[in-house]
Amino acid sequence: MSKTLKGITLKGSAELVAEFFSFGINSILYQRGIYPAETFTRVTQYDMSLQLTTDAKLKNYLTNVISQLKEWLFDCTVQKLVVVITCLETNEVLERWQFDIECDKTAKEGGAPREKSIKAIQEEIRSVIRQITATVTFLPLLETACAFDLLIYTDKDLEVPEQWEESGPQLIDQSEEVRLRSFTTTIHKVNSMVAYKRTNST
Amino acid sequence: MDDMEDDTTIFSTLKSFKSLISCPDRSLLETEPGFGRSGLQNLYTKRVELEEAAERVRSHTSLLQLTQEKQQMELSHKRARIELEKEANSSSRDLQREIDRNRELLLQIRRLEEREEKANQALNEQMENNKALKRNFEELHKKANEKDSKLAEADQMISELKDETRRLNQQIQIQESKFSTQNLEIQALQEQLDVQRKKFQDVSQRYQNLQTSHSTSTESELKMKELERRLALQEQDSVIVKNMKSEVARLPELEREIKRLREENTFLRETKENNSLLREETEGLRRKLERMERVMEEKLKVELEKEKLEHELQAWENIGQSTGLNIRKPEDLSREVIQIQQRELNLKQQNYTLNSSIRSVEKARTELMPEIAQLRAKAQEEQKKRENQDSLVRRLQKRVLLLTKERDGMRAILESYDSELATSEYSPQLMLRVKEAEDMLQKVQTHNTEMETQLSKAQEEAGSFKLQAQMVTTELEALKEQQVSNAEKNTLATAEEVSSLRQKIEELESERQQLEEQNNILEMRLERHNLQGGYDPVTTKVIHLQMNPTSIAKQQRTEEVEQLRVECQRLRDRLRKIEAGGGMTTDDTTLIIPPSQEILDLRKQMESAELKNQRLKEVFQKKIQEFRTACYVLTGYQIDITVENQYRLTSVYAEHMEDSLLYASLTDFSLTVLGTDLHLFHQKSIPVFLSAVTIELFSRQTVT
Repeated sequence: MSKTLKGITLKGSAELVAEFFSFGINSILYQRGIYPAETFTRVTQYDMSLQLTTDAKLKNYLTNVISQLKEWLFDCTVQKLVVVITCLETNEVLERWQFDIECDKTAKEGGAPREKSIKAIQEEIRSVIRQITATVTFLPLLETACAFDLLIYTDKDLEVPEQWEESGPQLIDQSEEVRLRSFTTTIHKVNSMVAYKRTNST
Repeated sequence: MDDMEDDTTIFSTLKSFKSLISCPDRSLLETEPGFGRSGLQNLYTKRVELEEAAERVRSHTSLLQLTQEKQQMELSHKRARIELEKEANSSSRDLQREIDRNRELLLQIRRLEEREEKANQALNEQMENNKALKRNFEELHKKANEKDSKLAEADQMISELKDETRRLNQQIQIQESKFSTQNLEIQALQEQLDVQRKKFQDVSQRYQNLQTSHSTSTESELKMKELERRLALQEQDSVIVKNMKSEVARLPELEREIKRLREENTFLRETKENNSLLREETEGLRRKLERMERVMEEKLKVELEKEKLEHELQAWENIGQSTGLNIRKPEDLSREVIQIQQRELNLKQQNYTLNSSIRSVEKARTELMPEIAQLRAKAQEEQKKRENQDSLVRRLQKRVLLLTKERDGMRAILESYDSELATSEYSPQLMLRVKEAEDMLQKVQTHNTEMETQLSKAQEEAGSFKLQAQMVTTELEALKEQQVSNAEKNTLATAEEVSSLRQKIEELESERQQLEEQNNILEMRLERHNLQGGYDPVTTKVIHLQMNPTSIAKQQRTEEVEQLRVECQRLRDRLRKIEAGGGMTTDDTTLIIPPSQEILDLRKQMESAELKNQRLKEVFQKKIQEFRTACYVLTGYQIDITVENQYRLTSVYAEHMEDSLLYASLTDFSLTVLGTDLHLFHQKSIPVFLSAVTIELFSRQTVT
């Protein structure tokens, strides 16, 4: 594994970022209550305790998406990953968690690994996930039953695999946006932001 | 010690004596025997002396021994004395100790005596305490006795209380009996309650029937409303029909109108042609009118121009008077103008000639400038040459001086050599030296000349550089003069250019600021767009899995909604069927409605209650039967309730089955006899009366 060697290669960076997304999406689902809290189990990652789902269908879906995302990260063809939370009754989009991915295309496979310690990257990831947990304090409550979807923004010329289809961006009508922290592996840089529907009482 | 020394001296003297004895014996023996007699006498004398000495020594020794013994005795005496003294001391000490002991013992005895006294005192006190305690004890004894008496009294009280408790228990039993009787009353009341409940159930059933009838009535009302609506519609239709009829009645009038309109139409068509002709004429007249109006306007304009021209003419005619020239006709004006123009032309020509002269002068000047420069350069060259020549001259003079000095020196040398030649004949050497000197001289001279040439070359080069520098400075000055002259000509142009350039700069700066602001706004919009999730459709596309949780949730929701709709539809159909069934028994409805858990529980409870009721009824009936038979047997009368407050009594010994006494009971159980077949009422007491009746009947029976 490239992680154990000193320095970050393209493959290692893709794996780090995919791992972050896996845990980050689980955290968002737990914090926002999309799935009941009893379907989550506690695990330790990045020196902190995080929640991971035990629902088999959801796990299957997430592994499908994350494995495909890892390939695209390796090819540097993915631009954004978005977690869209929709209200089932009104079919309105209530929240959008957007992660912009900037890939350094000069780092090809077989090139010299970049000098950055795994610890530093994990520290950055930890602060991002902590901030995601902290944003729950000011986000409006999701009172109705909600479902989530994962959208991926890719290059136009990418070949769409089977089981994937094109969709709209699913934007929020009248949104408030907040920019969160970012982290970088020197090959991939991930910026996080959250947009939520403005409530009429505010 | 003296004794010891004496002993040693004694021993030493003994030894010496022995030695003397031995030696002289030998010596005496060994030495010359010639001394025979004298020797023997000597020996004898010596032996006598020796023996005397020995005796002396012996006496001495015995003395010594005696003295020793004496000393020893003295010593022993001393020792004995010392010992005695010691013993005396010790005995004295013992004595003193014993005296002390005595004193101490005496003290102890006194203390013990004191203690004894104290103990006696204490004893006395204790005796007194004892007496006091005994008195207390007697008092307490008395108190105990009193308490015993009280106890006996209390026991008596207790016995009395026990009697009372017995009495109270009896009362309790009486109360319990009363309570049992009241329970029986309660049971009777409960029976009444059950009767009431049955009535209530009947009432509820009637109520349900009422409700069903009410529902039927509402349905009939609905039907009525529908029929009324249809009635209303029909009425509206009838109204419409009436309107139609009225309209139909209007038909002939309409036909008449149609005829009239047709005649009008034909008349109007005829008049149309006349109309068109008239219109053409009017148009023609209008155009003429317009033309006339235009002509009028033009006429007005022309008149105004005419007035203007007249004014101008007058002005022109007045010019001549105003300018003072001899002008009356325009020809004079033109002449004047021509003259002025000629003058102007002349002046222009002069101007041009002057300009050309100026230019030529300037050209000459500019041509002269380099010549001047050249001349200056030449002058400077000449100056330098002169300087060079002066320097050359100075050098030559110096050279001359040097040469003269050399010559003098050489001459001196030669003279010296010549003088030396006279002394010695070294002419060839001299000649050689002279030649060498000459060679040296020549070399020095050539060296000198070379140096001088180099110097001159350097000076010439310096001079040429100076010339070049001066030429350049002169050219610079010329250029500056040219620039100044150009600047004087072009000051205006440059100022204009500068101002125009400055304006352009300001405009460009303002444009730049605007563009910067626009740029910032666009960047902010882009950022906002990016944050909200927008993207450039040309470069990016958005994809997701087909089987994603949101779509699955939506599908499930639609399926649920469909299922709910189907169920709703089913329920509505059932409801309609029920309503159509209408006055059917309630059993159907209960059958159709699926029984819920509560209803089942309630049914079970109801069944159990009914069972209880039935059992109670049976038990009560049995009891009542027994009781009635017992009453009949014991009292001889059978008591029946005919109506609410009426009791009928029939005797055992009644002759006929119909014989009975009827009593009506009021609320306070004072019975009144109503109808009797036997008309005896004995002493206003019912039991006595009844017993009298039985006796009589019995007597009748037995007799008959």
